[in-house]
Amino acid sequence: MSVLGEHRRGTAIAALGLVAVFGAGCEEQTPVSLDDQALPGSPITITVEIPWSEFASNLEVFGGYGSAEEIGQGVLAEDFAGTLDARTLMRIGSYPRVATVQDTTGASRPDSTLTFLGGRFVAFFDTIESTNTAPVTLALGAMTEEWDQTTASWDFAVDTINDQRPWTEVGGGPVTAIAQAIWDPAAGDTAVFVLDSAQVAAWADTTDLSVGARIEILDAGERLTLTRGVVRLDARPSSNPDTIIELSAVARGSTFIYSPFPQPPPDGVRIGGAPSWRTILDLDVPAIIDGIPEFCAVVACPHTLTPGEISYAALVLTSRTTEAAFQPTDSIRLDVRPVLNRSAMPKSPLGASLIASLFGRSVAPEAFGSAPGLEIEIPFTGFARDRLRGTDAAGNPTPETLALLSVIEPFSITFASFEGPQSAAEPYLRLVLTIGPPVELP
Amino acid sequence: MTTLATTTRRVVAAGLVAVAFAAEPAHAQSLFNAAGLGTPVEALDGRARAMGSVGIGLPGRSIMPTDPGGLARLGISTGVMAASPSWVDYSAAGDRSGSFQGNRFPLMGIGYPVLGGMASIQIGSFLDQTYEVTRVGETDLGDGPVRTSDAFVQDGAVSNVNLGFARALGERYTAGLTIGRYAGSLDRTLERTYGDETDAANVDTYIESGVWSWTGWSLTAGGSADFENLRVAASVQIPTDLTGTASAETRGSDERFSLPTQYRVGATASVGPSVLVHGSAVLSDWSDTQGQLNTGFAGSGSGFGVGVELSRARLLGKDAPLRFGFRRVGLPFAFEDESVTERTFSGGFGLVLNETAGIVLAGVDLSLERGLRSSATLTENFWRATLSLLTSGF
Repeated sequence: MSVLGEHRRGTAIAALGLVAVFGAGCEEQTPVSLDDQALPGSPITITVEIPWSEFASNLEVFGGYGSAEEIGQGVLAEDFAGTLDARTLMRIGSYPRVATVQDTTGASRPDSTLTFLGGRFVAFFDTIESTNTAPVTLALGAMTEEWDQTTASWDFAVDTINDQRPWTEVGGGPVTAIAQAIWDPAAGDTAVFVLDSAQVAAWADTTDLSVGARIEILDAGERLTLTRGVVRLDARPSSNPDTIIELSAVARGSTFIYSPFPQPPPDGVRIGGAPSWRTILDLDVPAIIDGIPEFCAVVACPHTLTPGEISYAALVLTSRTTEAAFQPTDSIRLDVRPVLNRSAMPKSPLGASLIASLFGRSVAPEAFGSAPGLEIEIPFTGFARDRLRGTDAAGNPTPETLALLSVIEPFSITFASFEGPQSAAEPYLRLVLTIGPPVELP
Repeated sequence: MTTLATTTRRVVAAGLVAVAFAAEPAHAQSLFNAAGLGTPVEALDGRARAMGSVGIGLPGRSIMPTDPGGLARLGISTGVMAASPSWVDYSAAGDRSGSFQGNRFPLMGIGYPVLGGMASIQIGSFLDQTYEVTRVGETDLGDGPVRTSDAFVQDGAVSNVNLGFARALGERYTAGLTIGRYAGSLDRTLERTYGDETDAANVDTYIESGVWSWTGWSLTAGGSADFENLRVAASVQIPTDLTGTASAETRGSDERFSLPTQYRVGATASVGPSVLVHGSAVLSDWSDTQGQLNTGFAGSGSGFGVGVELSRARLLGKDAPLRFGFRRVGLPFAFEDESVTERTFSGGFGLVLNETAGIVLAGVDLSLERGLRSSATLTENFWRATLSLLTSGF
């Protein structure tokens, strides 16, 4: 026993010594060769541009995604760009029923017996998106017909399944004129309409589906973006009748209606608008590259492309001028997503965004107005690899169709326009290929 | 008996763990790994390293696959495990210099007496192949030049697993035979990245890689003879081709590489009551491998070593023989068509941890080498330590 015990102690000491030596050298550092010969063959990187006819087909534009209501902003226009008329409709929110006021003794207490004496409708505008630089005259009217905030359009007050009711007068129906106001963007971002007590009382009934405010612009040639509307109420509390207090009722919803409604482009790509437009196309990454002189000059042609050789893939679109009435005044953010079932269009679900950025591919508004012809790349490298392979990383079949759309739908009445197939600047597929020999043993 | 059995099981279990550990690829210790099939890693223990040996002809107990005949003189069950860290400074043409370090486990073995002889299993390193290299360039993606970086990483090694049997032929002679199986794998990956950190290019990384598994066989036969104050030993290792088999996902092809027959001789003489003088040599010509190489040049792996052991030295009241040696061995693969050698001066000592009735039950051997590898364009100065633990009687 003693011998074995000493044996184990000796072994333990030696093992500790081994551990110490292991530890001394355990920081592994892979030697970095100084000789380029130690590299296997050098890959070639080459950019190729595939014309539309060789990678895409069946381009189609669909509209009607979302409604203007979802934007949460209004649009006012009168003969803008010679064509566009737009008005904003708002539901007035319920009035405050209780206010904390100082009574005649100076003590603050809630008062639920309020008498509304009148008020103001305050409209807030986006000074950047609005096109006017000079003062414009606006009109506020009280709506008289029932309308549906989600489906109302220039022609229809209600446009849902089995219930389609046109306005008796297009453009929001007949309204009771309330007031006019002038908005000068140099003076601020608000326009104020005065409300009398009768109008304030009329808007107090939130159960009446005809209740609403219609705001329009009377001066022609401008397009305004209305961000929100608030009713400022002048109220007299019963606990202190000598005092007038101001309370606010925020609009509980809004939409805008406009005319004319743009028709789908016969020969181009459209993205955005309200309701939104999407453009879909079938995409097929060519498996064999041949006939491209600059490619075949460095790679043996025909070359069978493998997914791993695609280092970058992007759809390149060329911007063109959007119809003047719908030209963007702010950046357009583009997205691209796979269409999971084209036969179900326009209702096919879409896959996840193929653009790495959460905010999509941003394009300056000038590209669709004063500076058309700008090439916009929408990268989808991973999808292109999957498309060539036929399956994604999970082994699921790769969709054959892509949808080009706005990151947020709808985002604005404006939309982006791009050249379509058969035009001089038709879309093309840009591939950056890295092609190398197989790695062999030394 | 129960305690002894328990101890035996523990040692065997520890041995199995160590076997699994040693099956990991050897780590890199030389820039010459990038040449040809890599740098040889000899399965030597601390005593052989300290005495400049090529692994044959040493008296005393050793389990080295290069000396199958010596196994017969172990007498009792014996196990060995060695670790070998190294620290390397290099300088190359173009005023390039630097340093790196690494660790490896070149040898592990167990010998056990059976059938009147000694059976053994040994796991040893053979070729170290790990290195990486980066090349920076430029390419035009249509919008102007973009920086490219080609990073190539080779990770792997060739190891061998040996099963042997040796027995004494009378009082003076021994003979042994070992069958070895080459194993290991090689992972070669080339990655091209575009742009740099400040210019995060939108172009994905290109990756081309391949994984090969190494297979092959070797047969080593050897013997030794004891004369008065002299031991001589010789062995010959006859390998098959080394085959690299590509994995299913690898685009690269399978390859076969010729391995040379290696001849080893060694002798140790007792020139005094406590002085041993040792000399050994290896002859191996790798030039036949040249025809199968895509890169690098193959040459001679021959070399020799000499050393001395002063056995009366003591440390901490225990026997601690001092050892010194010199070795000069060729590296079989080089970047240019030239002869590259590794020369080392070594020193070290052994420490008996436990000894009963003249049988060493546990001991360690430590060596420290100062070496030089040099070619026309690259010089490596290195320190290499080897510590081996040897236990017996389990």
